[in-house]
Amino acid sequence: MSTPVSSPGKGSHIGRTLTICMHTFTQLVRMKVFYFLAIFAVILIASNFFDLPQHNGPESNGSEVLGLIKSWSLGAMTLFSVVLSVVATALLLPKDVEDRTLYTILAKPVPRINYLAGKLLGVLLLVFVSLALMDLLMTGLLQVRTSMVLSDQLAAARHLGWNEAAIKSLESEILESGPNWSLQGAVLAVFVRSAVMASLALLISTFSSSTIFTTVVSFLMYFIGHFQADAREFYMHGGEAGTTTVAKLVSLLVSMVFPDFQLFNVIDAVIEGQSIPAIAMVKLLAVGVYYALFFTIASWFVFADKEF
Amino acid sequence: MAENVPAVEIRNLVKEFKTSFRRQPLRAVDEVSITIQAGEVYGLIGPNGSGKSTTMKALLGLVAPTSGHCAIFGKDSLKVDSRNDVGFLPENPYFYKHLTGAETLRFYGKLCGLGGKLLDERVNELLALVDLENARDRRIGGYSKGMLQRIGLAQALIQEPRLVILDEPTAGVDPVGSRQIRDLILKLRERGITVFLCSHLLEQVQEVCDHVGIIFRGKMIREGRLEELIAIEDQTEIVLKDCNPELLAKIQALVGESGGASFIRSGKPRTTLERLFLREISEEES
Repeated sequence: MSTPVSSPGKGSHIGRTLTICMHTFTQLVRMKVFYFLAIFAVILIASNFFDLPQHNGPESNGSEVLGLIKSWSLGAMTLFSVVLSVVATALLLPKDVEDRTLYTILAKPVPRINYLAGKLLGVLLLVFVSLALMDLLMTGLLQVRTSMVLSDQLAAARHLGWNEAAIKSLESEILESGPNWSLQGAVLAVFVRSAVMASLALLISTFSSSTIFTTVVSFLMYFIGHFQADAREFYMHGGEAGTTTVAKLVSLLVSMVFPDFQLFNVIDAVIEGQSIPAIAMVKLLAVGVYYALFFTIASWFVFADKEF
Repeated sequence: MAENVPAVEIRNLVKEFKTSFRRQPLRAVDEVSITIQAGEVYGLIGPNGSGKSTTMKALLGLVAPTSGHCAIFGKDSLKVDSRNDVGFLPENPYFYKHLTGAETLRFYGKLCGLGGKLLDERVNELLALVDLENARDRRIGGYSKGMLQRIGLAQALIQEPRLVILDEPTAGVDPVGSRQIRDLILKLRERGITVFLCSHLLEQVQEVCDHVGIIFRGKMIREGRLEELIAIEDQTEIVLKDCNPELLAKIQALVGESGGASFIRSGKPRTTLERLFLREISEEES
């Protein structure tokens, strides 16, 4: 045999991680997960033609449809991204162990953190691409629909003889309900929440041998995450226990381990037409990155000593 | 690295597993020591559950030894860089079904730090070596058992390792596929690659291995050069060239006159590895 082409240390951590990331992405794409985009398109079209009973005056005609498109789209995005990130992450690791493909990967000069990070990034890449495509569809439809609503409303206002100031105000109100940067921020929040869920599922799958267990526990954590802030608040201020140092430490520990998904309620605010302040977005990103890193590093600690 | 560094060095390897129902841990490997010199083909044989795969996994760092030490070309097996020099084919491997044969090799090549033209050439070379050129663009999901084993062997060789570890390389493969894999192992030996394999097919082990170890209930019960192990100790073989019947008769008569010795037969006094294996196992059990 000729001289070995791979000398010790050849290949970088980034290179190996990207190889596993791109492979995971390809694997999920070839599992036909993008088919759900067709379902999303149907949901989007349905929201466009859904007639709400009119409770307000004629000046708000059509504005509800814009809110409905945003609500349904962001709801579907949340559902798809969370389910996809949990199920895909929960599925991939046990499958590699079961099929013994993990043996062949770890028998190569691949540090276990490269494998874990690659798998997680592959799932996140898929979720990101999916959300980007859904965002594109939503924004496109919202843009078209906003133009239509604007045109109808302005015509109606002029017909009713509104003054220019009132018409300007109406125009500004309708445009705020259309596609804007806050809406893109909400989509980013959906992605960050999925990233936290994927890294959480990764942590659970490192010590679980069953996909079902990982999925169920992950969704349980998702559920807990939606009321942990309230529970913590109640514990801290609801009685004498909350004033002790132990209670404060317990509260801190809970908030470190269980992600606070109430932070992501900004998505609902965007649906209602409010805008997200930049500082709130930065805080959301920082918290998301903290939880994702915390769970990934914890996964590494478990996985580093795992025997196969 | 010095030339005399063994390809594989396993010293007093012990591996115990915790069990759910028994307090006593299960000792899968018990004080096993193996040294494989570079260029050798070593066969580890033993019944199911005797500790063969666990020994291989410990050597690859997939399980951590309870005690003892494993090294590949002098590098600690628990360190990632020891795996630069090793290729591994697990028992009954299932590679990613969504990848084609060529994509599979490219994936493993990239994990080893290969890329570009060098990787393309290596993929082509290995597909030719394992006779899968015609199936290079077919998805692995459509491969037969024998093809899977061969692509598995190709991925094990992707970074041109100096050591190849094969766990039951012919398990479930038909006789033709089995023969192809045997021929590939012989090719590796010709190229100077060290091979560490375990197999149930003793005839095949006998055909390809220089050294053999017999492991039973986690203990190494016999080890050595194959030729020495399968020689019958109380018999002497005289190999004659151009021996005519008269000379053979004279030798037989001479042996008869000597008193202590007796002439058994003319030919090649060899037992088979299979007999040796069964004898060692039955002795250990009794």
